[in-house]
Amino acid sequence: MAENIQKQNIDKEKTDPYLAPARMPSSVDRAVRSFDPDDYAIPTRKQEDWRFTPVERFEEFYHVFKPSGTTTISVTSIDGSTPPQDQVSVSTTDIMQEPFGTVLKPNDRVSAVEWASATASHVVVLQGEIEQPILIRITGGGLQLDALHLVIVAKERTYADVVVEHTGDAYLTEGVEIVTGADSHISTTFVQEWGTTSKEVGNQRIHIGPGASLRHSVVTLGGDAVRIRMDQEFGGEGGELNMLGIYFVDPGQHMEHRTMVVHNHPNCKSRVVYKGALDGAKAHATWVGNALIQPSAPGTDSYELNRNLVLTPGAVADSEPNLEIENGDIIGAGHASSVGRFEEEELFYLQSRGIPEAEARKLVVRGFFGELVEEIGVPSVAGHLMEVIDRRLSKGESEAMKHVLEGN
Amino acid sequence: MSRLEIKDLHVSVETKEGRKQIVKGANLTVESGQTHAIMGPNGSGKSTLAYTLAGHPKYIVDSGQALLDGEDLLKMTVDERAKTGLFLAMQYPVEVSGVSMTNFLRTAKTEIDGEAPAIRTWTKDLNAAMKRLKMDPKFAQRSVNEGFSGGEKKRAEVLQLEILKPKFAILDETDSGLDVDALRIVSEGVNRAKETTGLGILMVTHYTRILKYIKPDIVHVFADGRFVKTGGPDLADELEEAGYDQYLPDGADSESALA
Repeated sequence: MAENIQKQNIDKEKTDPYLAPARMPSSVDRAVRSFDPDDYAIPTRKQEDWRFTPVERFEEFYHVFKPSGTTTISVTSIDGSTPPQDQVSVSTTDIMQEPFGTVLKPNDRVSAVEWASATASHVVVLQGEIEQPILIRITGGGLQLDALHLVIVAKERTYADVVVEHTGDAYLTEGVEIVTGADSHISTTFVQEWGTTSKEVGNQRIHIGPGASLRHSVVTLGGDAVRIRMDQEFGGEGGELNMLGIYFVDPGQHMEHRTMVVHNHPNCKSRVVYKGALDGAKAHATWVGNALIQPSAPGTDSYELNRNLVLTPGAVADSEPNLEIENGDIIGAGHASSVGRFEEEELFYLQSRGIPEAEARKLVVRGFFGELVEEIGVPSVAGHLMEVIDRRLSKGESEAMKHVLEGN
Repeated sequence: MSRLEIKDLHVSVETKEGRKQIVKGANLTVESGQTHAIMGPNGSGKSTLAYTLAGHPKYIVDSGQALLDGEDLLKMTVDERAKTGLFLAMQYPVEVSGVSMTNFLRTAKTEIDGEAPAIRTWTKDLNAAMKRLKMDPKFAQRSVNEGFSGGEKKRAEVLQLEILKPKFAILDETDSGLDVDALRIVSEGVNRAKETTGLGILMVTHYTRILKYIKPDIVHVFADGRFVKTGGPDLADELEEAGYDQYLPDGADSESALA
């Protein structure tokens, strides 16, 4: 369904010049990019990038600190075995040693603080056609402030799937750099299943090689406050970026995802589809989807979409797509965003066929996410994600209900 | 043998102008294997009666009972009513995005029967039922009612009726929006369900067209919130001729008379 809407909108965009914004210097071009935390002001809600963020809940991350080092990281194949050594190399390097710091620059106060605070970098280099997905497991070691930096490098013509799982309790600032080589086909899936009092600020910087495709998925299901910003650029013609996101927000939680897609080369394609469900009072989700199409990127095909499903009253979902188009010679640039309430009529229909209310709700939520999970395209990852979502959905249910839910 | 008894039912809805009573003392008894046609002008409360029995939250029961084999449906949740044996085929079936027909049907069947259908026979039974209704097998993989045409939605309703095997089915304007072929296929499905399970049917309709395919034993005229006349199949013919004008309250216009 999403695909249809995308196509329709893109066609519409092509035929209706008034839907495209006027040419103007972009705010992204003028934004600060620096390794020095002091080049950025302390975040306040008056700043555009922090407008939706409860800034006081992230204040631990505004000043350079000495990391506790309690967060652990392990790299295996998804079945737990050692990854093939000729295809996957794992190392820890000192900071200031390549490939650390090679993808873009920090783009806000917290990412510059992460940069300045981290003491080492975990580097995973991939090459060849890697059969099993690689699982990077990041486990929080408690609520002491920590910084972690991860670099994922995929060489030319690599085929690989990477899953990065976050569990445990943590106050973590995480920097991730992803570099993919020419004609590589990579998927990365980041799952956040933090403990209920955890906080994370994530900053991902992504470089996609010429002719390469990256499927980048983010699934945020747990944590007290999570804010992840992802900035991307293409490294040459014909690149393809597919960003998928899923979040499920409980009462009192703040989950924020900001994507920054930059079309800087010709004939590249990007898709951003984020979907979230919000359940309960003061559940707060923010999605900001920025896309910039530069003059150097004719033939761009870009689209972003965000959908929110509010399950119970009292939740707040911010949803803001920002498109800046500096090039008229493009295939399409479109966006859609919505915040919808749980439909009483849907519920009645399912119940009238004998399905109890709680299960009917879950069926609808599962369906809401299911389409997106299927799109992740890696069966073992999709299967794992559906399990994670089912686990999340059956949280707080009786054993009997869990059985029913997970059986479906 | 089962029996559905509606006793002195009064139903209201909240409107902008305040609470308004729609059903004003309805009484009806339906036995297994019987087909009752409930006919009446637009706005008479036929659909309200149907949705109230199924438990739609919009309708407020002021008084009365709806007993299925002695158990009051009106005291049950929506899903409990379905489990007790009531089925409502809706005029406008709801689209449920992301939930496949097959997953939905299997979940519903499991709930109604209290156990999961046998994997070996389930797919076969479902495919056979869809084939009889001339439904494309691809429908099973699509989201519930999503992108279905009006006729396809009605077939999907009858498919559920055949699979869930209720004791009583209310068909709310099932004939509306169907062409002759679709009407015949849908009617055959309803008749099949009646033959195989002894289903009792309450057929809510504005027009007599469907009665040529699903023969009623008893025909009721429902007007201004109550049953005002009951007769045999001839009553339908009479309505076809004379319209509903005589049953409308004084001063009402006749726009809803039979076309």
